[in-house]
Amino acid sequence: MPVFKAPFNGYSVKFSPFYESRLAVATAQNFGILGNGRIHVLELAPGAPGVTESVAFDTADAVYDVCWSESHDSVLIAAIGDGSVKIYDTALPPPSNPIRSFQEHAREVHSVDYNPTRRDSFLTASWDDTVKLWAMDRPASIRTFKEHAYCVYQAVWNPKHGDVFASASGDCTLRIWDVREPGSTMIIPAHDFEILSCDWNKYDDCILATSSVDKTIKVWDVRSYRAPLAVLNGHGYAVRKVKFSPHRRNLMASCSYDMTVCLWDYMVEDALVGRYDHHTEFAVGIDMSVLVEGLMASTGWDELVYIWQQGMDPRAS
Amino acid sequence: MEKAIERQRVLLEHLRPSSSSSHSFEGSLSASACLAGDSAAYQRTSLYGDDVVIVAAHRTALCKSKRGNFKDTYPDDLLAPVLRALIEKTNLNPSEVGDIVVGTVLAPGSQRASECRMSAFYAGFPETVAVRTVNRQCSSGLQAVADVAAAIKAGFYDIGIGAGLESMTTNPMAWEGSVNPAVKKFAQAQNCLLPMGVTSENVAQRFGVSRQEQDQAAVDSHRKAAAATAAGKFKDEIIPVKTKLVDPKTGDETPITVSVDDGIRPSTTLATLGKLKPVFKKDGTTTAGNSSQVSDGAGAVLLMKRSVAMQKGLPVLGVFRTFAAVGVDPAIMGIGPAVAIPAAVKAAGLELDDIDLFEINEAFASQFVYCRNKLGLDAEKINVNGGAMAIGHPLGATGARCVATLLHEMKRRGKDCRFGVVSMCIGTGMGAAAVFERGDGVDELRNARKVEAHGLLSKDAR
Repeated sequence: MPVFKAPFNGYSVKFSPFYESRLAVATAQNFGILGNGRIHVLELAPGAPGVTESVAFDTADAVYDVCWSESHDSVLIAAIGDGSVKIYDTALPPPSNPIRSFQEHAREVHSVDYNPTRRDSFLTASWDDTVKLWAMDRPASIRTFKEHAYCVYQAVWNPKHGDVFASASGDCTLRIWDVREPGSTMIIPAHDFEILSCDWNKYDDCILATSSVDKTIKVWDVRSYRAPLAVLNGHGYAVRKVKFSPHRRNLMASCSYDMTVCLWDYMVEDALVGRYDHHTEFAVGIDMSVLVEGLMASTGWDELVYIWQQGMDPRAS
Repeated sequence: MEKAIERQRVLLEHLRPSSSSSHSFEGSLSASACLAGDSAAYQRTSLYGDDVVIVAAHRTALCKSKRGNFKDTYPDDLLAPVLRALIEKTNLNPSEVGDIVVGTVLAPGSQRASECRMSAFYAGFPETVAVRTVNRQCSSGLQAVADVAAAIKAGFYDIGIGAGLESMTTNPMAWEGSVNPAVKKFAQAQNCLLPMGVTSENVAQRFGVSRQEQDQAAVDSHRKAAAATAAGKFKDEIIPVKTKLVDPKTGDETPITVSVDDGIRPSTTLATLGKLKPVFKKDGTTTAGNSSQVSDGAGAVLLMKRSVAMQKGLPVLGVFRTFAAVGVDPAIMGIGPAVAIPAAVKAAGLELDDIDLFEINEAFASQFVYCRNKLGLDAEKINVNGGAMAIGHPLGATGARCVATLLHEMKRRGKDCRFGVVSMCIGTGMGAAAVFERGDGVDELRNARKVEAHGLLSKDAR
């Protein structure tokens, strides 16, 4: 399957929700510590084992995350290291991009997530300990959620309820929010160490997973959150990202500082169902295609973006 | 900078849980300075967009002048096919080329400049693409490549071609007009007039290079070149040239396609070479067999900024790192590489040991052997596919030829072959050398893709 070599270190990869062959990659120079960033939009060539870049956008600081709009097929949003959130329209000539730039976060923006049900708003999580809610047509953020005591690494919308989202923070808590409420509706002290990522189950709106520096992934039911439904061991270092499958209820994928990408079925005893060791540096970005069952993509600090079919070797071409 | 330190700290926390007790090894984990130290041979893992890279390097076959397959070919018909090949193999729009620089030595300056300009038209370049020539004697081809690399670095243009052309059939070595008598007052200037063969004898005599050693070098050169040809190693770099042969007696023209060097003699042995008489000195050691061949040929190298190559999805053959030209005593001009190579290697921040492959022009076996021994180079790393004694030395084209041969061989050798050097001596006492790099930035994983529009930069790009 195709491999794309980026000039910078990979940070995030996302499949387009509109085109099965399109994906966006967020990259940053010098491991995201110092330097520029670049967003690549990649196109899988039909039939051929190749991947082509249709457009790229340069940024002044590292790009840590990117997400596609759920309402416009050409629009994508980037989370930038300098605290800005930028919106790009791939259909417009590149000199007129970005079409918007919001400078509100005081520190690095680490994740961005587009509302999949209401399709009009998106969330950003930042190292300034806040989560912000935005709409495309507003000149500034709609709301700031400030409760976490340390970096917020990720905020993700609930797939069913357009007003509910979860946030994962380095303060070792997972918080559930309803944008109609003044504060968080639930605080889960999910791990003893920093929580780097979280995701909702796409089939059960009460179940979500967290991944942590403690090398584990935990699966939670918000109706009984005193103990996790499952604790998944297997990664050798902090688990950087966790993602539920859009096609199979129990399946999830994760990537870690141990350079591997793992597939899990949290309902069975031997939860680890697959391990891919194709990356040669920290694996930090992962996504599963909504449009093509089993199609996965990952990226990492080795500057490579792999796109492969589950069950195949990502390196096989 | 504070921001960078803070980012490092946040990321380091991910790898070092603050109150870890269950796993002791984690406590010992810390960020440290790169253990590789300050040796510049370290693997560069970041690609720099402003690197000057070579994306294509090709040459014609080299043929014996006056007797070889190019004896009835116009010089511009040698250059045009290689220029065209660069465009065809890369699908580059020829109008994007900023300049074509051609190294060429023997032909009258203005006439050759015109011929090169005409060649560009034959090759399909539009009138908007500029052409010029450069003459640094035997290193003109390399100088052309270096000039283009420098111009790209300077920002004059992003894409350029460095080429070389010589038809020693059309333009034999000769001095026109009379010599200024003032030359007698300056020994060094006088020595500039020495025939090259005499300088070779000087090197052999002054540094004690024996006839046996020289003949052995020539035998090796032929053997390696014959093996490389038989193995098809030159196929990637040689562009076939359609031309004609004219029978000198009947005047009949036969159309031919030339794609093989015709000067290589696989049967060359020490015994056959030993019978040859010295040409330049009665009791000398330099013979026709252990000197470079007089040849016709051309070569061309396509250079561009790495960012442009990546945008166009062109595979990178190598990075142009450094170039140096240094003067030496004209009476022993052949020692040039022994001075120029260390200069270029040092400028690249490397040491001689870091270089994995050399193309050192074999103008004469005497100077080639001297340079090899003087620098203490491993013979296994030099001219692995033969050199000028077997393949030929069309003066202006040699530099471009060596770049093509070096980079294609480095490509074959893969990751273990990271740094390569091209060097040659220069008549009137100089040496030139250039350092090329492959490595991580040039691996097989390349982004072959189409360019759809110009101006891919977004407006907030710095």
